[in-house]
Amino acid sequence: MSFLSFAWNWLKSPAQWHGSADIPIRILQHLGYSGLSLLVAALIALPAGIWIGHTGRGGVVVVNVANAWRAIPTLGLLVLMVVLIGFSALAWLVPLVVLAIPPILVNAYEGVAGVDPGLRDAARGMGMTGWQSLRKVELPVALPLIMLGLRTGAIFVVATATIAAEIGLGGLGRYIIDGLSQSNYAEVAGGAVLVVLLALLVQVIFVILRFLIVPAPLRIQARSDG
Amino acid sequence: MNWPLLWQYTGANALLGVLPAVIGLAIALPLGVACARWRWFYVPVLPLTTILYSIPSLALFVVLIDYTGLSNATVIIPLTLFSLCVLVPNVVDGIRSVPQPVRQAATAMGFGPLRRLVRVELPLAVPVIIAGLRIAVVSSISLASVGQLIGVSSLGYFFLDGFQRDFPEEIYVAGAAIIALALVCDLLLVGTRRLATPWSRG
Amino acid sequence: MITFDAVTKRYPDGTVAVDALSLEIPAGQTMVLVGPSGCGKTTSLRMINRLIEPTSGTILIDGQDVLAANPAQLRRGIGYVIQQTGLFPHRTIEDNIATVPLLNHWSKAKARARSRELMELVGLDLAMAKRYPHQLSGGQQQRVGVARALAADPPVLLMDEPFSAVDPIVRASLQDELIRLQAELHKTIVMVTHDVEEAIKVGDIVAVFRPGGHIAQVDTPERLLGAPADDYVTDFVGFDRGIRRLSFFSADGLDLDAEAMVADGATVAEARALTVPWVLVLDSERRPRGWAASADLASLPDGAKLADVPLAPIGHTFRPGHDSLRSALDATVLSRTERAVGVAPDGTVLGVTTYERLRAAIRAAEEAADAQAATAVAGAAP
Repeated sequence: MSFLSFAWNWLKSPAQWHGSADIPIRILQHLGYSGLSLLVAALIALPAGIWIGHTGRGGVVVVNVANAWRAIPTLGLLVLMVVLIGFSALAWLVPLVVLAIPPILVNAYEGVAGVDPGLRDAARGMGMTGWQSLRKVELPVALPLIMLGLRTGAIFVVATATIAAEIGLGGLGRYIIDGLSQSNYAEVAGGAVLVVLLALLVQVIFVILRFLIVPAPLRIQARSDG
Repeated sequence: MNWPLLWQYTGANALLGVLPAVIGLAIALPLGVACARWRWFYVPVLPLTTILYSIPSLALFVVLIDYTGLSNATVIIPLTLFSLCVLVPNVVDGIRSVPQPVRQAATAMGFGPLRRLVRVELPLAVPVIIAGLRIAVVSSISLASVGQLIGVSSLGYFFLDGFQRDFPEEIYVAGAAIIALALVCDLLLVGTRRLATPWSRG
Repeated sequence: MITFDAVTKRYPDGTVAVDALSLEIPAGQTMVLVGPSGCGKTTSLRMINRLIEPTSGTILIDGQDVLAANPAQLRRGIGYVIQQTGLFPHRTIEDNIATVPLLNHWSKAKARARSRELMELVGLDLAMAKRYPHQLSGGQQQRVGVARALAADPPVLLMDEPFSAVDPIVRASLQDELIRLQAELHKTIVMVTHDVEEAIKVGDIVAVFRPGGHIAQVDTPERLLGAPADDYVTDFVGFDRGIRRLSFFSADGLDLDAEAMVADGATVAEARALTVPWVLVLDSERRPRGWAASADLASLPDGAKLADVPLAPIGHTFRPGHDSLRSALDATVLSRTERAVGVAPDGTVLGVTTYERLRAAIRAAEEAADAQAATAVAGAAP
């Protein structure tokens, strides 16, 4: 039996759709962990990145962060948290947030810092305060890159939440991890298919968001910097 | 702390991290050149690599088990696909960053298209390409450790072992090893770029 | 020689950049294509080395159809200089210049030697050979561009607005360099510019383009200024064309007054005897010292030395063998005395010109030019 047929059989099975740990619940859990982490990361990284980009101070920090964060091993961070503080909400929240911050921070910084100096000049010349210039000119222009940073962050939290099943987190990763430990290949296959679909769904949501939020002239074909 | 094992698994992790970037580059170069040359080709290729990139590595590893078993290939193939998402746009951007007048002058002096690509466009695209390669290598080295979850050995071994035995020192050491490995590769690439671009100094 | 035979360039969206252009570019001369933006001059230029392919018509270089040859091979025999230079940022100056020779499989040593030769030819310090383009100024980069185009000694040199990106002072010196180079090398140069002054200064023949890819007039600069074909060319050529045209008439044709002058050792009486409003006072080596007004002379005793008389300054002098009537006219206009002094290369005075004499010389030169053009046309007509 091939991977797909394993997955299909498992997914069809009604046992997966009823009960306390069925597919819809796992999906919601996964979305919940991811969404919460992304939100927290955004609350920290967006203001920081925007501020650093706007004032131009602290750019050195961002550059170093940009270079270093991709090296941090996801799995290592997750297990470290559990070993240090035991399994709790913080044990998975901190790693997810830590991993989502860099793309959001770097892209927000680059988005705002990369605004054409001529635009900033014109805004100040018209009598806007720094704050007004930020709100009316710099942020709108930086929006595509900020959205890109959030989208990349979303990719990271969904992926990390999947791996976090190893340390005991719920969500779709559970199927893969449990299936591996029980040699239940059907469950592994099914879980993988669901994870792929969810990841793609999240991407679609961001595409739609970008369409709705970013004005047409600014919707440049920016590629993932993740 | 099992030091010989650490050394061995660092080597394994290095292989699992560097090889995808190298293979990725080998694929991305012709692919990127084609995308830079024919815009309509880039239109499907770019979203395709973005979609692949958004899929969690663990899921991709698992999908491949059916085809490549529990070997290194199961980890290397997905990581190669991930690196394409960075490398292809960088190759394209690098080639596009070559100034129009330089390209036109080369044609006007009698460079054929292939010679112009090899002697003028690619050398000038090197800084941007290496920037992408740095990202790809560092990410792959880090992600390779996730392969431990399906049994493909790397420094991830110490993460799981440390987790099961409640032994944080192991996790610290392995984590530091991964970061150090990534840093060394990054610096090597920076050095390569400086060697390859003598004109950008001074 | 380069021949355009009913060449048309039509783009897929319908725009016609060049419309049935027929033009002969003589060998060994500088032909300048000039016109406003979008008139087809650059398109025409770039069809010569096949960077653009004509929709119809033929272009021949020394009898060979450019479409028949292999494009890369064709281009190695044609030098190409563009406004933004297109120097390879990743090659040293020396290697940039050596590009085409190296493409033609010269040895590195030979190619680099040739580079140095050319650097000297275009006026670049050899110390820059190992530097990179970004380390040079705009004017220096443009010289490298020209050197690179000349490296393989091509018979044809194409230049697309080569000096437009540098400041006017550098531009003027580059134009002078080009004129000097051409006098030495006698290449077939085709240059595109939007600046009619540059065209007139640099070109042996100028082709004025109309928007839409047609030629309004092909002529020498003097003819363009003296006899513009229609209102469009008249407007395009611009103001003061009568005076600008005088640059093309040699001051040799001036009948200079060699009499109205005295050495400073002479007496006032001798000067007064000349009965001219202004007397030119010379030093012992026959160099001009200044002008003595006859009004001043009248009030002085006969025996006084001219050396002691207050003199009006000479101002600008001109060299009849070297300068144009325009320079002579300019010197006369600038002079307080309404007279200008013509000197020999060693600085000694040849004679004096006045407005009257200039008028005569100008008229004679204009008539001669018109007559010559008429016989040329008559000779060319079937």
